[in-house]
Amino acid sequence: MRIDVRMPDLAATEGSDIMVKRWLIPKGARVKRGQALLEVETDKATMEVESIATGVLAETCVRPDGKVAVGEVIARIEAEP
Amino acid sequence: MTARDRADSRLGLLERMIRIREFEEGVRFLFLEGSMPGTIHQCQGQEATAVGVCAALRPDDFITSTFRGHGHALAKGLTEQELLDELFGAATGCCKGKGGSMHVGDMSKGMVPGIAIVGGGIPLATGMALAFKLQKSDQVVACFFGDGAVAEGAFHEAVNMAAIWGLPVIFVCENNLYGASTRVDLVMKNPRIADRASSYGFAGETVDGNDVEAVCAAAKTAAARCREGGGPVLLELLTYRQTGHSRRDARAYQPEAERKAWAARDPIEIFAARLEREGVIDEAGVERMRAQAAKRFTEAVERARSAPQPSPDDLESEVFAPESQP
Repeated sequence: MRIDVRMPDLAATEGSDIMVKRWLIPKGARVKRGQALLEVETDKATMEVESIATGVLAETCVRPDGKVAVGEVIARIEAEP
Repeated sequence: MTARDRADSRLGLLERMIRIREFEEGVRFLFLEGSMPGTIHQCQGQEATAVGVCAALRPDDFITSTFRGHGHALAKGLTEQELLDELFGAATGCCKGKGGSMHVGDMSKGMVPGIAIVGGGIPLATGMALAFKLQKSDQVVACFFGDGAVAEGAFHEAVNMAAIWGLPVIFVCENNLYGASTRVDLVMKNPRIADRASSYGFAGETVDGNDVEAVCAAAKTAAARCREGGGPVLLELLTYRQTGHSRRDARAYQPEAERKAWAARDPIEIFAARLEREGVIDEAGVERMRAQAAKRFTEAVERARSAPQPSPDDLESEVFAPESQP
């Protein structure tokens, strides 16, 4: 099953965009639920975002330094059942 | 107490801590998935303080809590379902969907809905204890707060009143070393919080807050003392938050070595290992407990997602206490 990974609500100021700094798991690699998937920069801090599923990182939708709104799809994981 | 009863009661402590951990971990992922709105303050790593204190209380005793109250609520007997319904804003939540994560509680179960103002619960708990004393009831109040509350004026005013009037309140300071991102030694010349009690003339004790049995024993002694009119008592429970202050906090201020040292003293791991060593439970038994808690959580989430939302007609209900009859 392919799961959408959305940008979590991590910004201190509501409504401010969040920057994707870098992907910590390369596209096509396996990732475990709870493992750090990417690094983001909010209006207040740089932080890691953990994977919500175990599986293969099938797609990354945002390049490093790209800014997205909270709730936007940033990646897709082909999850293991 | 027979050996069997003692074993069951110890397993009960472990089970409650595991249920809190599974709940908090589950909620963490709900937040990451975007299905849980707002921010959340979680208590992974601090399970022994809530469980140890609440296990020492009677069902008709009260607790007051903070913005970090999920663990306190589960330890005082609220269910995962009542909490999750509240977190999803449902009318079936413990505060009818009007409180949310920071205000969980249920007066009928002896928990004042969480007070999110730092130190705000301390005078309130003191007032409840005064009421118990005037009513000649032998109930006690346990008041949870963090190290960040200790420099608040409310703390000093309330503990002084509790001391001069000998009130049945246990002041429970969960000292997790950080008030949000500020380490205690930056804001306290004397970081031993239990010492504050002696300057007001009552008993204070520092306890290993990651040892659930040590917490429970200290809280039992404190509760007995309060019931006999010897209160108040200040318990400083040394613990550590294994998660951010809120979900938006990456806790970069916690040094790696410090995090590792406290992770090695995880309250659930050390207690499970003790019970395994003493033959009370085996590894498979602990795993079963974890699996049951995870299943209970998942099922509660499914129900909470479709629970009824409050209607605008309910806006003014349950906001104020009913008028009391003279």
